[in-house]
Amino acid sequence: MRKLLDFLVRKRHWFLFILLEIISLMLVYRNNAYQRNIMFSSANVITGHIASVSGFVTSYLNLRDINRELLERNGQLEMELLELQDQLEMMRADTVLFTGFASDSTEQFPYSFVLADVVNNSVTHLSNYITVNKGRKDGVEPDMGVVSERGVVGIVSTVSDHFSVVIPLLNPKFKLSCKVLGSSYFGTLSWNGRNARFANLDELPRHVEFELGDTIVTSGYSAIFPSGIIVGKVVNFEKQHDDNFYSLEVELATDFQALNNVRIIKNYRQAEQKRIEQGG
Amino acid sequence: MINNILRGFIYFVVLVLVQVLILNNIHFLRVATPFLYLYFILKMPVGSSQTNVVFFSFLIGLVIDIFSNTPGMHAFACTLAGFIRHPLIQLLMGKELPEGIYPSYKTFGYGGFFRYTLFFVAIHHVTLFLIESLTLFDPLFLAIRIVASVVTTTLLICTIEAFNIESQKSGD
Repeated sequence: MRKLLDFLVRKRHWFLFILLEIISLMLVYRNNAYQRNIMFSSANVITGHIASVSGFVTSYLNLRDINRELLERNGQLEMELLELQDQLEMMRADTVLFTGFASDSTEQFPYSFVLADVVNNSVTHLSNYITVNKGRKDGVEPDMGVVSERGVVGIVSTVSDHFSVVIPLLNPKFKLSCKVLGSSYFGTLSWNGRNARFANLDELPRHVEFELGDTIVTSGYSAIFPSGIIVGKVVNFEKQHDDNFYSLEVELATDFQALNNVRIIKNYRQAEQKRIEQGG
Repeated sequence: MINNILRGFIYFVVLVLVQVLILNNIHFLRVATPFLYLYFILKMPVGSSQTNVVFFSFLIGLVIDIFSNTPGMHAFACTLAGFIRHPLIQLLMGKELPEGIYPSYKTFGYGGFFRYTLFFVAIHHVTLFLIESLTLFDPLFLAIRIVASVVTTTLLICTIEAFNIESQKSGD
């Protein structure tokens, strides 16, 4: 008995080792669940604030680029506005005025957005995550879509009071339903784990017509993103093994390595759509 | 004793901050990321009890995990590395090292410290990258990532060690 106790005391680091490895494995396993624990992520109070201080400092480094991007975007939108105004004028001139027609003002566009700053970002791992500085207090909930000024970024996965963790396109857990702009057939976009600039669009039917350089946009079926948000453009394609589908290589529109400001998209009808989809 | 705890604490905080704020963003040629925080485990005194080494290895791994959103992966790899640290030192340096010395160029010799670092880092990285690629398997790319990261981390640790004032004083 004494010898046994002696043995146990002498080898206590073995037991500690095995115990700690089991704890680690449990954490790894739990991390694979879609919704994760707030405590062990960068959205908790301490890590979130340290990350936001470092994000605050580094956000000054890219101001020149961001400014140029905003100016470009502003110019584009202004052109679009002018074009639309022009069209409107033309239609007014063409149409016989019908005063009985009023647009339905009770019908609202279901999407709205919250601006957020990126405080922690990774592109180096196989499963990447982004932390942003808006949380439950700002109306952010899990499963909301996130976009940048250039295109789709990802989906909110974990939310604390002031921070949330986003699963970006650069994470194998995230699959996005996309289509080639102008057609209505859709495929699934996923990341191959190698290059932060490219992703693959799979399961696109063979008869869809497209060319290299065509724009890939969201399909809008998930109620997370409105349809027609830019994802990237086609740079390469190949047939899949079973020959009935194409696999496209897509250059992502969002530059994940220099991500600073994002918009979180709220859709007040999302809960309703989910409920009816699950019920049926 | 107090000195030792304070020293360990400073190493811990500084290395964690350097790792999560700077080095985690480095991704050399899209394959290599240095994990300098292993320096904390490497530099624990030689005679410290194995229980302590294993526990603190787990702790620093867990803290790095929480910051980089990879719960469990670094903790697993670090605990394993901390566990084999003592046998590794005995294997490379023999059993008659005086207790309480810190591993450094002076105490281990240049070749000895380099080998010690290289093996330690290699074991940690192989475990870490294997666990990480459970989600997405790609053997060739995995091998490239491991080798590149082992080289970067080892070089970085050996360079830092050469400039570490504390270890130049304490070897006497």
